[in-house]
Amino acid sequence: MPVRTILSYPHPLLKQVCQAVETIEGDIHALVADLLDTMLAGPGSVGVAAPQIGVALRVCVVDVSASRHGKGNNHGLLCMINPVIMQSSGAAVMREGCMSVPDYTGDVERSQEITVRFLEPAGNEREISATGFEAVAIQHEMDHLDGVLFLDRITCLKTGLFRRKNYR
Amino acid sequence: MTHQPDIQHYAVSVVGKDRPGIVAGITEVLFRLGCNIADSSCTMLAGEFAMILIVSHPRPFGKGRLFEELKPVCEGLGMSLAVRTLHADETERQEAGGEICMVSVYGADQPGIVYRVTRELAGLGINITDLNTKLIGTEAEPVYVMMLEAALPDGQTPEGLEALLGDLKKELNVEIGVRVITPVSL
Repeated sequence: MPVRTILSYPHPLLKQVCQAVETIEGDIHALVADLLDTMLAGPGSVGVAAPQIGVALRVCVVDVSASRHGKGNNHGLLCMINPVIMQSSGAAVMREGCMSVPDYTGDVERSQEITVRFLEPAGNEREISATGFEAVAIQHEMDHLDGVLFLDRITCLKTGLFRRKNYR
Repeated sequence: MTHQPDIQHYAVSVVGKDRPGIVAGITEVLFRLGCNIADSSCTMLAGEFAMILIVSHPRPFGKGRLFEELKPVCEGLGMSLAVRTLHADETERQEAGGEICMVSVYGADQPGIVYRVTRELAGLGINITDLNTKLIGTEAEPVYVMMLEAALPDGQTPEGLEALLGDLKKELNVEIGVRVITPVSL
């Protein structure tokens, strides 16, 4: 499966509310495979949402297990179809960057603990409780499914001054 | 910013008593001249409003023209004005390889807090990317707060930096903390 190009703002798909997946068929499996390949190809990337590769469907992948922020507190690779946040609590601020908004970072406050329900590619329903960086990453990717960018959530005017070659 | 040989960049700074309309007044001139605001930071300091802008304009265009056009507006608003032409190597975006840290320093007000801390950082080759200071507390017990963001050279750690600032912390009797704020890529 190919690594797909990550769309950058102002591509209109990035500000669009995505459609729910109705049936998990071959094209959805291909989409998930492309999302995974694209995530693995991005340096330090911990997630990709379908609209970022040009598909307006509610599908995203998240894997923070290789990131220093997510090590020891994660569910490994998550392929999420039609994810819904059932519960959220707490608040944590992280300085976020996004592959679809290059050269800009900003402080974003998000829930610290979330319970999220979604379908896996096999068709089964799964519910997990995530905390810390994994919770942040899931919320960031799920925002993409609603056409929301981290720019819409920045609460602090401090912005990053540097373009980063590699995230840690 | 990538270097474009046909584009000239200028550093413009404007400071004056705060009031509504300063930003609109300055940017109206820039807009009329066809200037781009490539980067900017503007904030209130005490009762002053301070604007620092990196402005670009296609050649041919001169610093003199920019200054002369901004001058009447600044005089009308009672603001100081400075314009400087940037060299090509000043307009490149820098890249940070190491950690980005927030260094917080606070304690009883005394002369030299900013100097002593930043001298240590400079000696370690640490680049300050943002810095704010504020005098808070009461007249009887003034407290000085300095928050700065800094890019550590590759190999330096926040814990290491905090340890290196330990002696200064004792000497000045202030709190010094170092936290990682390196952005996460999502």
